[in-house]
Amino acid sequence: MTIGRRLFISSGVFAVAIAVGYWLVAHEITGTFLLGFLAFALSVIAGYMIVAERKADLWGDRGDATMAEAANQVIGTYSIRSPLPFWSALAITSIALGLVISPTLAVLGFLAALGLGAAFIVQSR
Amino acid sequence: MSALAESRVSPAARSDLLSWITTTDHKRIGILYLSTSLVYFAVAGALALAIRTQLARPGNTLVTPHTYAQLFTLHGTAMIFLFVAPFALGLANFLIPLQIGAPDMAFPRLNATSYWLFLFGGLVVFSGAATNEGAAAAGWTSYVPLSAIKVSTGLGQDLWIVGVFLVSVATILTAVNFVTTIFIYRAPGMTMWRIPIFTWEMVATSLLIFMAFPSLAADLLLLFVDRRLGGHAFDPAAGGNVVLWQHLFWFFGHPEVYVMILPYFGVISEIVPVFSRKPIFGYTGLVLAAFAIAGLSMGVWAHHMFTTGAVNNPFFSFLSFLIAVPTGVKFFNWIATMWRGSISFETPMLFAIGFLLNFLLGGVTGVMIASPAVDYMAHDSYFVVAHFHYVLGGGSLFAIFAALFFWWPKMFGVKLDETLGKWCFWLLFVGFNVTFLPMHLMGLEGMPRRVFTYPDTGRLAELNAIATFGSYVMLAGVALFVWNVVLSTARGEPVGDDPWGANSLEWATSSPPPEHNFDRIPPIRSERPVYDLRRSGGRAP
Amino acid sequence: MRVQTLPAAATKQASILAGDWLLFAVSGLLVALLVWGLIGFALARWRRTRASDEPPQFRNNYPLEIAWTAVPLIFVCVLFFFGYRAEASVDALGARPDVVVHVDAYRWGWQFRYEGGPVVGGSAGSPVLGSAAAPPPQLVLPLGETTRIELTSSDVTHSFWVPDFYFKRDAIPGQVSSFDLQPDRLGIFPGRCAQFCGLDHALMTFTVRVVAPARFAVWRREAGAR
Repeated sequence: MTIGRRLFISSGVFAVAIAVGYWLVAHEITGTFLLGFLAFALSVIAGYMIVAERKADLWGDRGDATMAEAANQVIGTYSIRSPLPFWSALAITSIALGLVISPTLAVLGFLAALGLGAAFIVQSR
Repeated sequence: MSALAESRVSPAARSDLLSWITTTDHKRIGILYLSTSLVYFAVAGALALAIRTQLARPGNTLVTPHTYAQLFTLHGTAMIFLFVAPFALGLANFLIPLQIGAPDMAFPRLNATSYWLFLFGGLVVFSGAATNEGAAAAGWTSYVPLSAIKVSTGLGQDLWIVGVFLVSVATILTAVNFVTTIFIYRAPGMTMWRIPIFTWEMVATSLLIFMAFPSLAADLLLLFVDRRLGGHAFDPAAGGNVVLWQHLFWFFGHPEVYVMILPYFGVISEIVPVFSRKPIFGYTGLVLAAFAIAGLSMGVWAHHMFTTGAVNNPFFSFLSFLIAVPTGVKFFNWIATMWRGSISFETPMLFAIGFLLNFLLGGVTGVMIASPAVDYMAHDSYFVVAHFHYVLGGGSLFAIFAALFFWWPKMFGVKLDETLGKWCFWLLFVGFNVTFLPMHLMGLEGMPRRVFTYPDTGRLAELNAIATFGSYVMLAGVALFVWNVVLSTARGEPVGDDPWGANSLEWATSSPPPEHNFDRIPPIRSERPVYDLRRSGGRAP
Repeated sequence: MRVQTLPAAATKQASILAGDWLLFAVSGLLVALLVWGLIGFALARWRRTRASDEPPQFRNNYPLEIAWTAVPLIFVCVLFFFGYRAEASVDALGARPDVVVHVDAYRWGWQFRYEGGPVVGGSAGSPVLGSAAAPPPQLVLPLGETTRIELTSSDVTHSFWVPDFYFKRDAIPGQVSSFDLQPDRLGIFPGRCAQFCGLDHALMTFTVRVVAPARFAVWRREAGAR
């Protein structure tokens, strides 16, 4: 996973360089803000990756790892079927659509989304 | 070899509607994305045929100007937001866990949620057509003040905003899934430098999605606030700025076109080695080039704004020229892969070659318009229409067909018919070039974009008639593909794990794969585990 | 079959831009022919002849990879330089233009307001200019002299495009965009709107008529009197 750290750090550095270069060449505030904010956001992720990778030891990162190492290891569980995605998408769509055509729809969608969000958490336990 | 995560053993796959609606299986979600995006392609293609039919003769009155504006708005919106990008996301959804040896994506339920948001978002966009004033009609770029409430008074424009916003959310969530899965869930021995190029391209694509889509979402929110909540962000009379929309839009829009091509560079990088019987040449160079393209693409957005007089043209021109370099590196790598190889011309390879030939022309015209000196003439003319159709149609679309023919057996257990496939290729290749090559000349003769008719001057009538003819040849090619699907589903012979003699890990499991993807994963010691397996005698330890 | 290329350049600025068009088109064509040629050669030379073919499995050539990165890099920098030079001279505003015209784009037509001279064209609410109902408004310019255009829009974004000048500039509400034109050919040249602006976008045409300076002075007097 060191790739992740390197990727976001180098992207962040590159974004800083372009933002500074853009300001010096163009003195244009909109583009500078966009690039600068991009650099900031990438730095946040890079910071997270640095911290997270300190303890990482993935068998996928070792070129000499064998399948036997991964045998019978549980790395997570998930449900192979769930009605939640369909209904959550419908709830989010209702919120967005409701903002345009009917506030009632938006409120209903929002309440449904809250309930579905809770269901997601419960289902993960 | 046991699965790497707990999964309930399920009975033989249920194919009823409910199991598709509740699925969290990345393979099924991928197939849902692919089929839905192909339906949107058919709709957007029909809109294109209507456009071309209207433009077949000058002064034609097949459709009204208002209808015409909706036609090209929905055509562009559907092709970009609902076909080319989601098809890539669907293909990646199917392939990534298989290519890295994982049992599923990191967040399966989020994955499914993203798909449904994409489907509903597209439906919301098109629902505008059922409103009083019709669907959005301000172009897929929706420039202000044209898309502001005083000018575009109908609900269709708001529905466009909502629908595209939903699709953006879906796309960002999918990118989150991809990056997490690729970083964390690789099988033992599958280091980042052994993953297939397609998977690397999806890392770069996901990075682009993170960087670009929030800008679009912000732009859409601002427009919505302006239109419905009394905002004035884009209203110069109240202190707002018209060009702000363009900055935020193209800050998204330019990376978006790389979102629409990088996965397909990955597809070509998978197919060419298989049908040249050689490893991909310059693996590291291809990876670095992908990230060079991704990074540089964040700094070129205002090359879409050269004629506004409101941006620093040389900055954006210079960076736009630079992007040609990593793209060229990729081209040379693909050619070197074929060089001194043993090349066969099955349908996937034909489409890959078509991609190379077409995309090259699109790339060359792209380098031309990277210079404002040329763009002052070409911008917003049919020259630019030709350029982007060559890279998206001649490029991405051909790679889409290559991917369909190549991975169809893995997804569905049968090969598509080879003879029909070759006919499909030639119809599309000839039809595509007959349609879009004349458009360069139309632009040079002074025909602007987004016009419902044109004067009968110069050779415009002739060129347009030829282009319209070409579009119908393309229709024949697409129809033949549909027929191929029907025929192969009814009469195709089942195939084994590896019908093409390919290289990457997805070819080490059955066609189609079991629900948990792999019963047994071969040792991974290079970027071609299945090739290595074949060479070592074919049996995994 | 004659291939229609760019119209003949009609301004001093266009002649500068024509040089770039030629450079880019020729170099682009050469690159395309080279790469298409390499692809075609590889496909023909190494098509599979025996089903059991196993070609040499090479995957790198570092000097070659560095070369095909460095050479295109130099190439695009050269192209950028020539484009930049042309753009800078075309965008440059002269110290004292001979004529100044305020161009106002609206839905759907054009208005040309000569400083100290006539007003040609319509305004928002006028019938569509450029259709069969009314002839397109005509921007009259003097040959060989510099005309400053001050371009804006009174409603949505439009774009002032004269193909024979190889040039367009967007007309954006809330800002005025300035550029110089120095015609060096007599004639009547078509003008189009090049930024989608709504229903009659395709119909809001105009023309540019370049006349000798003496004729221009006469026209200005007579048009101003009307």
